[in-house]
Amino acid sequence: MPGERYEVRVAGHLDPCWSAWLGDAAVGHDADGTTTLRVTVADQAGLHGLLGRLRDLGVPLLALQALDLPPRDDP
Amino acid sequence: MPTTVLATKLIAPSPRRRLVARPRLLRLLDATIEPGHRLTLVSAPAGFGKTTAVSEWCARLAPAGDEAAPASVAWVSMDEGDNQAGRLLAYVLAALARAGLPVDPAEGDPDVAAVLPALVNDAAQACATDPEHAWVLVLDDYHAVTDPGTHEAVAFLLEHLPPQVHLLLTTRADPPLPLARLRSRGQLAEVRAADLRFSPDEAQQFLSDVMDVDLDAAAVTALDRRTEGWAAGLQLAGLSLRDLADASAQEAFVADFAGSNRFVLDYLADEVLARQPPEVRAFLLRTSVLQALTGDLCDAVTGQAGGAATLEQLERGNVFVVPLDPARSWYRYHHLFADVLRGRLLAEHPDEVPRLHLRASDWYDAHGHVEEAVRHAQDAGDHERAGRLMEAGLGDVRRARRDDLLLAWLGSLPDAVVRHSPVLSVAAAWAQMMHGDLDAAEALLDVADALLRAGRADPALRATWPDTEDLRTIGGAIELYRASVAQARGDVDGTLRHARAALDAAGPEDHFIRGGGAGYLGLGLWAAGDVRQGLETFGLAVESLHAAGNLVDELDATIELADMWLSAGRPGRARALYDDALRSATSGGPPYPRATADLHVGLAGLDLEADDLAAAEAHLEAARVLAERAAITENKWRWYAVSARLRSAVGDHVAALDLLDEARARYRPGFYPDLRPLLSQKARVQLAAGDLAAAEAWAVTAAVDTAAEPTYLHEHAELTLARVALARRADDRAQWPSRLALLEAAAAEGGRADSVLEIRVVRALAELALGTPDDARGTLTLALAEAPEPDAYARLFLDEDPALVALVPALAARLHGERPTSAPALLQGLPDPLSERELDVLRRLAGEQTGPELARELYISLNTLRTHTKRIFTKLDVSTRAAAVRRGRELGLL
Repeated sequence: MPGERYEVRVAGHLDPCWSAWLGDAAVGHDADGTTTLRVTVADQAGLHGLLGRLRDLGVPLLALQALDLPPRDDP
Repeated sequence: MPTTVLATKLIAPSPRRRLVARPRLLRLLDATIEPGHRLTLVSAPAGFGKTTAVSEWCARLAPAGDEAAPASVAWVSMDEGDNQAGRLLAYVLAALARAGLPVDPAEGDPDVAAVLPALVNDAAQACATDPEHAWVLVLDDYHAVTDPGTHEAVAFLLEHLPPQVHLLLTTRADPPLPLARLRSRGQLAEVRAADLRFSPDEAQQFLSDVMDVDLDAAAVTALDRRTEGWAAGLQLAGLSLRDLADASAQEAFVADFAGSNRFVLDYLADEVLARQPPEVRAFLLRTSVLQALTGDLCDAVTGQAGGAATLEQLERGNVFVVPLDPARSWYRYHHLFADVLRGRLLAEHPDEVPRLHLRASDWYDAHGHVEEAVRHAQDAGDHERAGRLMEAGLGDVRRARRDDLLLAWLGSLPDAVVRHSPVLSVAAAWAQMMHGDLDAAEALLDVADALLRAGRADPALRATWPDTEDLRTIGGAIELYRASVAQARGDVDGTLRHARAALDAAGPEDHFIRGGGAGYLGLGLWAAGDVRQGLETFGLAVESLHAAGNLVDELDATIELADMWLSAGRPGRARALYDDALRSATSGGPPYPRATADLHVGLAGLDLEADDLAAAEAHLEAARVLAERAAITENKWRWYAVSARLRSAVGDHVAALDLLDEARARYRPGFYPDLRPLLSQKARVQLAAGDLAAAEAWAVTAAVDTAAEPTYLHEHAELTLARVALARRADDRAQWPSRLALLEAAAAEGGRADSVLEIRVVRALAELALGTPDDARGTLTLALAEAPEPDAYARLFLDEDPALVALVPALAARLHGERPTSAPALLQGLPDPLSERELDVLRRLAGEQTGPELARELYISLNTLRTHTKRIFTKLDVSTRAAAVRRGRELGLL
């Protein structure tokens, strides 16, 4: 699917059964008790929709990273 | 939306059967009604017990049935469907009315611009009569609002509601309101996650008193730490613990939970779900697709009986169902729990989800709740079904004036669905016209026509269209919209043709199409120059609108009808129409219909022509205040155009030209015939200002063929061209008398006495300029003798060369003789004299009425009245109303 890829880290081990609810996110558990969600969304609006769902579950948000940023043109 | 559920949106959730007293939170919330506080923000993530805390506080503040309570609570539960300022306001009005604040409830999707100031005025009035009482307006789950217009409306209320009305929002995200400003002014009270977290003591009490679980202090502390005092977590843990056999099992549970890394909600929800009997678990998952739960609906969705009993059992067992009404016939799941259930359903039975939504859609459809039926059809991804439901529900939704809902519906349908149904295609054409896209509207009307043709040849296709009133009258509706498109394009012939076709197609009871068809036909006939037939036909339109009970359009039509009477040379008839309409528009008190401002503008125009400039200014001021938020879009330019004439009449041509530019920026072509083009009006002001070059520049670009057969649409411009030619003493001015005779003949034939009068005035001017004053006197005398109401005209003569008026002594005596002038500014004896409006307000201040009563009488908001009063006080150098009146008497102003 075309779109934008993001990695979202949240506190706690989120159950993999949330995958479908969270836009077919890949749910990975980390040893430090956090969860990394890898997800492809259509655009910024899609990303905000996902963040809204996480908010509505009361999941504490720790980090958000875009995975397809074009390389920076440093002068 | 079922009415039962609708009513429940306005009721604070019934207090839980058992609660933990949390005096700490109640004290924090008490700040809400302290003087000076405007907003209380209860902001925390899902499941922190926001609604529970606030509803408990409200129940203590204003116990149900306690008439003597010092405060009243108006409660609105928000959800995603309320993302339109109009919807929110409809609920707010209904909630405030329930709370005893005398406001008018709105019908359908109200016009935000009209309702907001009226609401503020009503609230101010109620608070003034009962200054000790407080009102708390609770907007629960405010995070559901994402629409900027709705935030603006709430910000407006926050800024303008009187200080006795306090706003309280519960939300999962801080709203885009001016929080920093409120905080710095000490007007904001906040209850946040840290405040809402249960302390170990509160957790202990909650578990033992509400959940019947007795744990030792160490276990409670471990639980409280693991859940971080999260109310939903404690409740879920309590549900699991309650079912465990003994203390050691409970200790084991707490130890395992405390040692787990799993997300608290996952761990606990799984525990709770695992403890439910399989049939209850299946019930929970499958009914999670519903926004509101009632036994019969649940049975329809699950395909099993006993839903009502299950819901009751869930409530008794504290399993996250919230009763929505005191009779406990409707419930909803706690939002957080609903999300858990929907997430699990989607993971475990993804293929079932559409089927469940379709069953819900069927149930709502069978019970006559089309809005919910449509939503579930959309959630099921079945757009064809959604389209069919909309098609069947269209008439009711339109009659309820739910324009926002209609636009949202039509915007949600895929093109293919719209283009399969003639009724939906026509509805979509209407939506495009609302968006101002004439081409798209016309294309959709073509689609509808093509479908109808295909349907005539193909009964099977025709059978797929629901048999609705809309389908039966569709022929007339298509012609009506085509007439509207043609008029918007300035195509007079097309307007007439389609309007006639609409009338031919309409049955005797189709008031909407009859009214619209006659309306466009009347406007078209008028634009074509025949005001007699235009008036006759348009009168029929107003009758049909009246028969259809459509007051809004009836008022709009008054403005057009008055314009036609004016064109027929009957300003007196126009004035009577405006006066009547204004009386009926304002008799019910605010909120006034949107057209009210436009009625004032119409009256200002008549006063202006009669040279009663003070009265014109007063009407323009009344309209300005109303129109800030209430004028009809297509009429907004009129205020600027009439104001420009007023400025020009007092010699302020620069301001007049600016106002005409403002008018042009607001002009929307097509709603009415463009009979007084603004550029032509501008050229007349330029002439009056002596800027001949600018007027000549316009004359060069004005696309008017003065050799062609005269048309009414070009008449104003031609009469301006004539004046330009006379002013520049052009060689061709000798041709003008004969051209004017042609214009006059055409105007007389169409019954346009107003045109005849003006044309004769211009002809007299031409004869004066050509050195034949006797001809000029004869022309002017005839003009006055044949005009139906010559005495209603003054500016028509005063705006021209004074030599014109001097031609006829009787006219000169009327216009320059004794005329009442009110308190000339120079005689006031003030460094900064009071304006006409301020004098008017001062006179009223000498009476007995209260401020809100005065504001209502003047059709202005209380704030505007205060602005006037403040300015009067400053000019009179006083600080009270009594002193202002005294000083006014001393100065002879009263």
